[in-house]
Amino acid sequence: MLTNADLLALEGTPGNFTATVNLRPRYIDADSCTACGLCTQYCPRHHVDPYNEGLSITRPIHIDYAQAVPATYYIDPSSCLFLQHETCQICVPVCQSHAINFKQQPEERKLQIGAVILSPGFGKIDPKTLAKFGYGKHPDVVTSFEFERMTTASGPFMGEIKCFSDGRHPKRLAFIQCVGSRDIGCNNGYCSSVCCMYAIKEALVTKEHDPEVDITIFYMDIRTQGKDFDAARERAEAIGIKFVRAKVADVTPWENRLQLTYATLDGQHKFEPFDLVVLSVGLESPKDAKKIADITRIDLNKYDFCATNAFNPLQTSQQGIVVAGAFQGPKDIPESVTQSSAAASLAAASLKQVRGRGVEMKTYPEEQKVAADDEVRIGVFVCHCGINISSVVDCAAVANYAGDMKNVTFYTENLYSCSQDAQEVIKKKIKEHKLNRVVIAACSPRTHEPLFQETLRDAGLNRNLFEMVNIRDQCSWVHAGEPELATIKSKDLVRMAVAKARLIQPLPEQTVPVTAKALVIGAGVAGMTAALNLAEQGFDSVLIEKGDAVGGNLHHLHHTLAGDAVQSHLQTLVDKVTKSKKVDVLCNAELVQTAGFIGNFSSVIASGKGKTRVEQTVDHGVIIVATGGREHRPDKYLLGKSKKVVTQQELEKQLAGKAKTRAPGSIVMIQCAGSRGDDLNYCSKVCCNHALKNILKVKEINPDSQIVVLYRDMRTYGFAEDAYMEARKLGVVFIPYEVDRKPEVTEKGAKIQVRFFDSIMQEEVVMSPDLVALSVGIVPDDTDTLSKLLKLPVTANNFFLEAHVKLRPVELAVSGVYVCGLAHGPKPVDETIVQAQAAAAKAAIPLVKGYVKVDPIVSSVEQDKCIGCGLCVSLCPYGAIVMQKVDGKRKAETIAASCKACGICAAHCPTFAISMGGFTNEQINSQIVAFGATGDR
Amino acid sequence: MGKAMNHREGSVMVLGGGIAGIQAALDLTELGFYVYLVEKSPAVGGVMAQLDKTFPTNDCSL
Amino acid sequence: MADQQFNPSILGFLCNWCCYAAADAAGVSRFQYPPSMRTVRVMCTGRIDPAFVLRAFVEGADGIFTGG
Repeated sequence: MLTNADLLALEGTPGNFTATVNLRPRYIDADSCTACGLCTQYCPRHHVDPYNEGLSITRPIHIDYAQAVPATYYIDPSSCLFLQHETCQICVPVCQSHAINFKQQPEERKLQIGAVILSPGFGKIDPKTLAKFGYGKHPDVVTSFEFERMTTASGPFMGEIKCFSDGRHPKRLAFIQCVGSRDIGCNNGYCSSVCCMYAIKEALVTKEHDPEVDITIFYMDIRTQGKDFDAARERAEAIGIKFVRAKVADVTPWENRLQLTYATLDGQHKFEPFDLVVLSVGLESPKDAKKIADITRIDLNKYDFCATNAFNPLQTSQQGIVVAGAFQGPKDIPESVTQSSAAASLAAASLKQVRGRGVEMKTYPEEQKVAADDEVRIGVFVCHCGINISSVVDCAAVANYAGDMKNVTFYTENLYSCSQDAQEVIKKKIKEHKLNRVVIAACSPRTHEPLFQETLRDAGLNRNLFEMVNIRDQCSWVHAGEPELATIKSKDLVRMAVAKARLIQPLPEQTVPVTAKALVIGAGVAGMTAALNLAEQGFDSVLIEKGDAVGGNLHHLHHTLAGDAVQSHLQTLVDKVTKSKKVDVLCNAELVQTAGFIGNFSSVIASGKGKTRVEQTVDHGVIIVATGGREHRPDKYLLGKSKKVVTQQELEKQLAGKAKTRAPGSIVMIQCAGSRGDDLNYCSKVCCNHALKNILKVKEINPDSQIVVLYRDMRTYGFAEDAYMEARKLGVVFIPYEVDRKPEVTEKGAKIQVRFFDSIMQEEVVMSPDLVALSVGIVPDDTDTLSKLLKLPVTANNFFLEAHVKLRPVELAVSGVYVCGLAHGPKPVDETIVQAQAAAAKAAIPLVKGYVKVDPIVSSVEQDKCIGCGLCVSLCPYGAIVMQKVDGKRKAETIAASCKACGICAAHCPTFAISMGGFTNEQINSQIVAFGATGDR
Repeated sequence: MGKAMNHREGSVMVLGGGIAGIQAALDLTELGFYVYLVEKSPAVGGVMAQLDKTFPTNDCSL
Repeated sequence: MADQQFNPSILGFLCNWCCYAAADAAGVSRFQYPPSMRTVRVMCTGRIDPAFVLRAFVEGADGIFTGG
């Protein structure tokens, strides 16, 4: 990890690049800094805090936020008195660990690398663009980034929302959407794709702070097209947040408030006063985009984002260099995370030959045997954490208290237990005093348990012979004013930990070997891309397709919005898949049964038709679910009843044909036909783009064609906004409709009639177009069977539910099963390809390793006590317990590799037959007893 | 000015240590590659570290 | 009675992934709260057997906190 670093140059060819990187000095030695914060307290100089968007003051010597990685302070040279004027240096003697070093110099480093991933993020909109909304002229006009910090507990107002002008709590708040996006005034014609979501989020958070606040969001279109995003918008509306479709013309200070002038759709001009105005600013290409492009010789698009195409969404114009995140186009967190995994899989595929060469394996000394009846010898280490703990808790008293406890053979205090020298001390003391249990009273096990467990392993102890006591985050920091009570609490917590430590037993490190093969279910673009990516990384897969042939929905598409030819790409993909020696394609195939767990699945697959249908068993290590989706066909607007009513997909087919009348002279398009609260509860994300794609094609073939689009919100997010603008320039009429006044389609003889309310002219209109095209949604293809077969959770809308929406967007709750494409949620083809590559990256991880590690804290069943009731099997959320016949009796058994150690099984077992490693009934009970035993030790 | 050469076969450079860069680096490490994560600011985390809650679930982002 | 402060003895069972994490975050933010709770970390609140709760009352707890 190289922070404070700039890329200066990149030379060479794919597989063999040399990058030159300049490391700017932080003036603080990272290995010595303990992040105690004393230096910041003593530093006399003020420094505007960029982490809080300049809304608060810090010091030149500081850390951006407590959880920063690396957890090392740094000195900002721009305001440091010594670095600017050679005076001061107060911090140097203050630092107890002598970490401050003003002699540090910039360092140039050359890195030999095989591939490059560009993920420089995004830039912010120029304040000049914001000035037209009063930004910079009035303190109560803030950007959404500033507002985000204002709502945060770690922000400048400690989470209180106040007006900058006079500190009052705002009662009326306005969000102005599309500031610096969809705005050709600042050359950002695209939609930033995230602002609607964060505005709704910030509005909801504000309402949580103060339910009385009156919030209005001024918008052009609300673009909550992501998976389950519309539900949040509805939630916002339900709690009284107002959405007003209007263009804000002006923000003028008026008395102590801000007067907004805005024009609504029906042409009315309105004025309304607000206390605070939040500008929903867009995402721009990163400020150094041009510099990056110069150094790496990649092409940028017209908005200075990285140029890519729909079928290779992450490939830059230079081989060996891929892109991920907002630099590829404005996007939210889940999309960025997905792209990153996908980029990793592309880089990994290109460097398959040298995989594993750069990674060193660490070795440990042989583990010392600790038997159940060995004498328990506990070592207790009490950490001062500089002054973080010791300024409140009497550490010496806590250590002495521990020393008097039964089985405690050794006790001491450390200044910083996590420091390198303290680790050596711990190792030495373990050997010296033959310790076989270690208790460390310091910070949180969530952050530091792995570090100390590593130390135990280095000292030849099983890493589970360890217990941590949190006397910092959950004691000294939160009881700063009550040192005596905090010391008592620390003693109590140590007593409970020692009680547990007496009963801790070593747990074996388990690993399970992996069958290096994948099963990919569904051979649409998602499944094919995933299987091919795995093949490029060197892994075999079985690709099963329930239809007659591979290809899926791509067969229905002819070109993309950007103009790429779909069919030729499909042909290439199909050729690659059928020719690949590493992909075994089975058509007319379905999964009959799957047993096993990550690394070791065994599936029965039936394939072929009629008499040739055969069943075969395949062993594989991972599963990628790419079962796809299909066009929803609503029983509305005469679809299927009149020949003049078609879906966008049917229109696309017609337009790709040769018929002279394929682009009719008048078309009415109805968006959200059956979606967003109708048959389908959600937005299908692709229909607006699909409509525009067809509109532009119609206009290309028949420029005189008159097209009217009836819509709710045009969701042409990202660069697709250009197409929307283009269509309007070509004279296409876009008219929004309200849910309670949906258009009606009727048949009158040979003619078809569309009746709708024109919200611009404020009147009822009847049209008789040549064709009505419906933008229908997408439904998942039978997720039911698979979800039952593999125990996979689905959402309320029947798409598969990912393990974590943001951080694990392609993994499912069951280990070793991944999802991509329409089975996960509606999305366009480029996003599907990225997701398939990401799924391949995640699936390749266990295949590359060759084994899966099992955390030893999993559950285990004592078979003698088990009565075979099966309660645990039905309760386990991860399918990690199975019933097996042992000597003719039903007994439960844990599949260690699938277990997530939640302990639901153990808590519910009526005969206490199930035990959790590291959290046994005896151990927890001993803690409870020690909790009550205030007098005893 | 100090100069150093880092030569390691099977390594990848990730430019930018926001959520995208971090995720790519983590995945590459797990896939058996050595990663240089190059970040211009003093800490990794990018913009996401500035966010309090995230849409639509309003989860904590850190 | 009014001037005698009730100082309850509370035992908390905290889920490692959410409530324990939240308690850490409270520390990072330096939120102050009364030092009357002692905690047992579990990997999930699902682990909490009702017997643990009863046992804690037997051992003298005035209240039980479960967070997950």
